[in-house]
Amino acid sequence: MDDSRAELEEGNVLLRACASGDRQAFHQLYLNEAPRMLALARRFTGESSLAEDALQDTFIQVWENARRFQSQRGCARTWLFGLLRYRLINQHHRSRRDAFEPLPGDQWPDSGPSPEQCSVEDDQRRAIINCLQGMQMDRRRPILMAFYQGFTYEQIAETLAIPLGTIKSRVRSGLKGLQECLRL
Amino acid sequence: MIPEQPEAQRLLVAEYVLGLHSREQSAEIEQWLEQDDDAASLANHWREHWLGAAELLEPVPLPPRLWREISRRTASEDSRGRFDWQWLWQSLTLWRTVSVALLVAVVLLLGPLRVPAPVYTVVLQAPGEAASPGWRVTVSAQGDLQLTPLSESEYPADRSVQFWTLSDPALGPRSLGLVQPGESLVLPASRVGGVESGQLFELTLEPPGGSPADRPTGPVLFIGRAVAI
Repeated sequence: MDDSRAELEEGNVLLRACASGDRQAFHQLYLNEAPRMLALARRFTGESSLAEDALQDTFIQVWENARRFQSQRGCARTWLFGLLRYRLINQHHRSRRDAFEPLPGDQWPDSGPSPEQCSVEDDQRRAIINCLQGMQMDRRRPILMAFYQGFTYEQIAETLAIPLGTIKSRVRSGLKGLQECLRL
Repeated sequence: MIPEQPEAQRLLVAEYVLGLHSREQSAEIEQWLEQDDDAASLANHWREHWLGAAELLEPVPLPPRLWREISRRTASEDSRGRFDWQWLWQSLTLWRTVSVALLVAVVLLLGPLRVPAPVYTVVLQAPGEAASPGWRVTVSAQGDLQLTPLSESEYPADRSVQFWTLSDPALGPRSLGLVQPGESLVLPASRVGGVESGQLFELTLEPPGGSPADRPTGPVLFIGRAVAI
């Protein structure tokens, strides 16, 4: 088992322990996952205090609802990030419209070939990176703005100063390519 | 509007997971995902894949106060919930039932003027019919909830109407109990749980006595999201 798989499995074990009221496991889960979750929350909100509030509320939700985690529907990390993103989307995002800041993936070359041409690794978390790297920049950028910053179609169009119809067309084309690349 | 073509549906799921739609559109999609297992499964697959993109983020240092606050709040939650709640539930069921019944009676007898000013409101509308409000939900500053009919609706006599809330799709819908058509319902904060802006509430038509599963199984009659006042 490689390190990343071991990390994911540890997350599942810790979350199940949280469901039994194990506070030490809860703290360890926080130490393992919160640093990257806070990074995502900061990108969404653009404000440290809002990001910290969202993270704090998410972990309280995790403690109160750990029993509802179902590992057959995804790993603990996916569940944690899902809770955080949902909270950010519904409570905090939609407030920043002028931010054009560097995103992970910006430095990837605009390789041009369609995502279908990229190879898919067994590890699905790595697969999406491969697929995104094979995508044209004008499709990849708006998709990454949605993922990392929580922007809607309208906000992406406004930020990039590109007509809404064009943005929708590019994002949908990119997502279709991702679907094929990921075999979804 | 949920498209009928499978290809368009799959694209809609991908867009929803990314959060590209407005709150109103997302609410409709969430309602659909609750009832379509294939679509819900596809959404989970997308989330698993997107984890890879989240892992590209550089971890940031955690301010020590964050854990202190989480620890403090979950400890107080434990003292109220995980220990005392179970103990009270087991030893004082009768007392609890009587208290809730009295609360309902008092609220109904004294009328809405005595109910504290609400901090959240939800207008439950028939799906896709914005001009057809059927019920109103108000949540007071204390977290108590009141469900009030706004119009007369007819329901099949051999079915039950069940009240649900969804604070987060990852947690799944939670039943708030059965509703008698045309009658108000009052629920204490302890039963409602926390309410947040944007939280989904809905009424569904279920078999007699309520859904046999831990989620809605019948059609959605009315649906709406909490709005802070």
